[in-house]
Amino acid sequence: MQVRFWGVRGSVASPGRDTVVYGGNTACLELRLNGSDRVIIIDAGSGIRGLGAHLIRSRSGPIEAEIFLTHTHWDHIMGFPFFDPIYRPNTRLKVYGPITYEDDTLDRIVGDQLSYRYFPVRHSELSAAISYHQLREGEMRFSDGLRIKTKYLNHSLLCLGYRFEFDGKVLCTGYDTEPFQNVFSDDPDSPGYDPVVCEEGAQAVADANAALLAFFAGADLLIHDAQYTLSEYSGGKSGWGHSPMEHAIATAQAAGVKKVVLFHHDPDRRDDELQALEDRFRAVRQPPGAPEILVAREGMLLKV
Amino acid sequence: MTPEERLAIIQRYIAKMPPLPATVTKVLAICNDPNATPADLNKIISLDPVLMGKVLRLINSAYYGLVQEITSLVRAIIMLGINTVKNLVLSTAVLGTLGNRRDFQALNMDDFWRHSLSVGVASKLIARKRGAPRNRLEEYFIAGLLHDLGKIPLNNRFSKDYEEVIHRSRSEGLPLFAAEKAFFGIDHADVGRLITDNWQLGADISDTLFFHHALEGVESSNSEIIFSVALANYYVNVKGLGFSGNCCPQRVADEILSGLDITLDYLDSVEQEVKSEIDRALVFLRVAG
Repeated sequence: MQVRFWGVRGSVASPGRDTVVYGGNTACLELRLNGSDRVIIIDAGSGIRGLGAHLIRSRSGPIEAEIFLTHTHWDHIMGFPFFDPIYRPNTRLKVYGPITYEDDTLDRIVGDQLSYRYFPVRHSELSAAISYHQLREGEMRFSDGLRIKTKYLNHSLLCLGYRFEFDGKVLCTGYDTEPFQNVFSDDPDSPGYDPVVCEEGAQAVADANAALLAFFAGADLLIHDAQYTLSEYSGGKSGWGHSPMEHAIATAQAAGVKKVVLFHHDPDRRDDELQALEDRFRAVRQPPGAPEILVAREGMLLKV
Repeated sequence: MTPEERLAIIQRYIAKMPPLPATVTKVLAICNDPNATPADLNKIISLDPVLMGKVLRLINSAYYGLVQEITSLVRAIIMLGINTVKNLVLSTAVLGTLGNRRDFQALNMDDFWRHSLSVGVASKLIARKRGAPRNRLEEYFIAGLLHDLGKIPLNNRFSKDYEEVIHRSRSEGLPLFAAEKAFFGIDHADVGRLITDNWQLGADISDTLFFHHALEGVESSNSEIIFSVALANYYVNVKGLGFSGNCCPQRVADEILSGLDITLDYLDSVEQEVKSEIDRALVFLRVAG
C-alpha cells in the first residue's frame, strides 16, 4: 500500500509563510493498493482539492473513488465542494462515514455544504453519481482482498478509526481522538462523588484504552492525532478531543506499531516548531522494536 | 377495540415514549448547561426509567453496532463521551407528547416514578447484600428502575380503561397484572416485552420486565436479578413507597427468599435508605414533595 498526505492540519486550514513546509491544508489522505486501480481517500478536508485536481490530470477515463470519513467535523469535510471530480458526469463516488445520533443522515451532513446559503452549486445539480454509506464498528471485506475494520475513537462526536489490511500489510488511522479518561471524580469532597461510579468509570477507561491498542496492534503504519504537546494538553486542552504527541508515540509503542506518523497539527503550530519537535522525537534513543516516528507533512508519500 | 388494534396503538406509542414529567425540566437544564458534570448527567438519566431505557437502547441498537454491548450508563458516558450522550438524551426528550401533567391519567406519574426508583434502589441494595460484584450493582438498579415500563403505554394510551382495570384489581382483590390480562388480553409484562424487544435492552432487563410476576417461568441463567427485582417490587408495594397501580401485591414465595438469602427483616432495615434516596432525588430534581 502507499499513502500520500494531501492535508495534515487540524481544526482549520492555516496557509501562510509559517506553514509552507509542513502544509496548511486540513486532513486528507490518499491510499493506493499495489496492483489495484482503486482510489481510497480518507477524509475530505481542504487537502482534497489538490487530490481532485491530481486525479483529473492523471486519469484519462472515469474517476471512481471511495471516501472514508473519520467523522463529520468541518475540517474533515470542508473540501468536499471543491473536489472537482464531483462535477464530472462519469465520476462514481462512494462516501462512507460514521452513523450519527442526529436526525440528519450522512448525505445531508456532507452534501448540505452544497446548498444555496454556502455554495453556488447545489448537491442535486452535481453530475457525478454519489452514494452515501453509514458505517458503525465492524468489518468490511472486498473482493480484491482488502479488509477494512472500524472502531469508535474518543472524540466529541462519533469518530471512526480505520484499519486497512491488504496483502499482509496494515495501515491504521487514529484521529481525531484523545485518551479515554475517567470523567467521574475520584475526589471524595466533590459533589456527586460516588465510589462505585468512580470505580466503574476507571474500569471502563482501562477497557476502552486496551481495546484501542488491540485495534492498532501490529500495524505497519499508524497515523495518529498529535495536535498538542503534553504540556498544552495538561494545561487546559484535556477534553478537547485531541491527543498529545507523546500519547500518540506511547500508543504506537504499546501497540507494537512499526511506524507512527504524528498528524492533525494544530493550526498555530509553525514549521520551525514542527521541525524541532520532529528532531527531538527522532533523536531520542529508542528501545529495540520501538516505532519509527515521523511528523506528517503535506505531499509526503509513504509505502506500507 | 380488538387486541390487535390495541397492540398497534401500543407499538406506535413505544416509538415516541417521552421522559417522565418529574425529570424533563432537569434533563433540559443539565443538557443545556456546559458546566454540568458527568455525574449530573449520569444521575438525571438514572432517575428516569424511560430515558434510561432509551439511552441504553440507542447505544446498543444494531444501528450503532457497538461490538460490545453496553449495560452501564457510566460506561456509555466514558466510551461515547459526554457530548454524544447529552445529544442523545436531548433527542429522546420529546416534549409535549406526554401532555399536561393535569391531563387525566389512571396512574399518577409522580407516584409511578417514586415506585420505580424505590424498586431500583431496593434491588441494588439486595444485590449488595448478596455480595454481587460492584460492577453489576448498576444493572440491578436499572432492571428495578425499568421493571414496570410496560404500564406507561397502557396508562397513557388507554387511561379510562386502565382506571377501570385498577378499580377491578382493588375491588376483586386481584394483582394488577391479572386484572390487566382479564381486561386487555395482555398485561404490563407483555407490553414490557414489546418495549425491550423494540429497544433491544438485553436479556437481564428484558427478562426482568417479562417475568417479574411469573417467577415460576424463570430459567436459572439470570434468575438472581429477576428474583431480586421481584422481591424488591413486592416489598416496595407493601410499604407504599410510591404507587404503581397494584393494590394487591403477590407475596414472593419463601423458597425464593431463602434462595436469595434475603429476609424481610433485612428489607425493613434498609427501608429508610430507600426513602433517603428518593428524598435526595427530589432535591436534585427540585421537585416539590
